[in-house]
Amino acid sequence: MPWDSSIYFRFIDVYDYNVAYSEESCGSLIWLFRPLGIDQSIWGTDNIEALKTVLRNAPISSRNQMVKDAALNVVMQVLLSMKSSQIEEAVNALDRDHLDILMKYIYRGFETPSEGSSGQLLAWHEKVHAVAGVGCIVRVLTDKKRV
Amino acid sequence: MTKNALREERIELLRALRLSTEIAKHLLSATLRPYLSAVRSTLEAAMCLENFSSQVVERHNKPEVEVRTSKELLLNPVVISRNEKEKVLIEASINSVRISISIKQADEIEKILCHKFMRFMMMRAENFVVLRRKPVEGYDISFLITNFHTEAMYKHKLVDFVIHFMEEIDKEISEMKLAVNARARVCAEEFLKRVCRLTFPSSVLLLNFIVFLVLKP
Repeated sequence: MPWDSSIYFRFIDVYDYNVAYSEESCGSLIWLFRPLGIDQSIWGTDNIEALKTVLRNAPISSRNQMVKDAALNVVMQVLLSMKSSQIEEAVNALDRDHLDILMKYIYRGFETPSEGSSGQLLAWHEKVHAVAGVGCIVRVLTDKKRV
Repeated sequence: MTKNALREERIELLRALRLSTEIAKHLLSATLRPYLSAVRSTLEAAMCLENFSSQVVERHNKPEVEVRTSKELLLNPVVISRNEKEKVLIEASINSVRISISIKQADEIEKILCHKFMRFMMMRAENFVVLRRKPVEGYDISFLITNFHTEAMYKHKLVDFVIHFMEEIDKEISEMKLAVNARARVCAEEFLKRVCRLTFPSSVLLLNFIVFLVLKP
């Protein structure tokens, strides 16, 4: 890295200095202290409400990778536990912002495929794409606030 | 057993094999359609390219996804997987898209066939126009599509090409595998015919036994 030369400006990451992108105080830390088993109590039998809750609290502004991984595990559990018939209902119940966050989680879920997970995620992807369109995918590709 | 009965038995076995592969393909296509449609929609989103000269070197125009000097020109890379073995990595930037495909390779012979086939195509990458000469680390084959390609060719046709490629590759590799097995079976038969000194019916029995044991389809 040529720190003393005049082309130093090319290697600065603007997002390190962007104050608006800094970590929220305690909202994201909840994900670290919430072991996966306890989540069953907030789910009950209503998977759609659980999905809305996890998407509402998604740590998109956080810079902490552990928090994001913990959140990903919970979201994956919720997504994979829902039956194919419930997917359409769930997608229709979400608003535009939550659909974007859901799509980001779907793509992240594809990165670590486990037994049968990709098939389910492909079904989710199809349904979300049908509702939110190509724009949703463009927002996943361009948004710097990665999930 | 007479020679005719043996031949008929062999024909029955081959027929059963073909039927079972057809059924397997039908079951597999349950994830194939959603997989290809997910790749298609992601490619449609990623392939929005415009001309962008290099910011670093005067008068140069480079595909930013390959150069990667400026972070603001790169989009988030995205993976779409069908299972643990098959996936597609799509990395986009302002003027270029890199699509890397990992092809299903179930056994040793499919690995060798895939490797040779991909190498054959990548050596002729200039004629393909959109193919990359080396695959990205961890994948079998890569495409590099730049804004010049989208200007000269229809974007939806480019997307169709990539999807068609993904479909056909699997079919071609299975066909090649069947051809290799058939040729190997015939070779083994001819070889054993000359080497075996038993009487004809028992030698044919022995032949079939060995061939079906060694060359499992």
